[in-house]
Amino acid sequence: MLSGDSMERRVQFAGILMLLGLLVEAFCLFWTRPIGFVLFLGIGGLLLTFGVLMYLLAVLSRHHPEP
Amino acid sequence: MAPPASALLFLIAATAIFIAWIVIRPGITSTRGGKILAFFVLFLMPLFCLGMGTSYHMERSKQTQFCLSCHEMEPFGKSLQVDDPAHLAAAHFQNHRVPADEACFTCHTNYAMFGTFRAKLHGLKHVYVHYLKTPPAPEAIRLYDPYNNRECLHCHLGARSFEEGAVHTADPELLPAVKANRISCVSSGCHETVHNVATLGKEKLWKGGS
Repeated sequence: MLSGDSMERRVQFAGILMLLGLLVEAFCLFWTRPIGFVLFLGIGGLLLTFGVLMYLLAVLSRHHPEP
Repeated sequence: MAPPASALLFLIAATAIFIAWIVIRPGITSTRGGKILAFFVLFLMPLFCLGMGTSYHMERSKQTQFCLSCHEMEPFGKSLQVDDPAHLAAAHFQNHRVPADEACFTCHTNYAMFGTFRAKLHGLKHVYVHYLKTPPAPEAIRLYDPYNNRECLHCHLGARSFEEGAVHTADPELLPAVKANRISCVSSGCHETVHNVATLGKEKLWKGGS
């Protein structure tokens, strides 16, 4: 499932984090109590943020061959 | 303005499908088109979902039923149904002087810079106390700061009933003092019955509205 290429593996890992974050976000949409708001920001927001940061890290750390 | 839940759910589902596609086939990110797609799907769309979701939750947290969903607040919700016009919160709620579906937020937010933000921070503290500490009894719950007339004047300032009311104009010093917050609207013997949760059992309740 996970790619052999390190950059692609990081992108996959970032995607998995984001998928989990989006799952939490979707779940919290139906939770009208205050804890839903806290979980949305505390868990969903954190997972999405880490996923985006991991994607940016993967893009920035990509090896560029010398011209 | 917050998006409707169905639109947000659609956005989340669409983003999740695209992300899942990239997770299953990460090789597509090696092409030029794939890189552009990945930037949209793994950067812009998740941030957009987060922003829209936060906006949605912020709007929903202003609703009266949201505030009253914790059992500590139930007596305060009940006090909005007291059948007595001398009860300030009940009279405002029942006569729609405040939006009935955002009654708590309308009076308890701070009409100054970052007022909504401060209200939400207080809300997070309430959640912490609710789940991890021992919440106080409803009758022991107090405001963080004395109620500022600014919150009343946000609506009443300039209103004829306020500016020309017989009691308000009987003493020429009264209105300037109220406007300068030197005399409190609610704790100086004028409109002091707000949420009398300690004596709710003795009050007759209005059955309408809800």
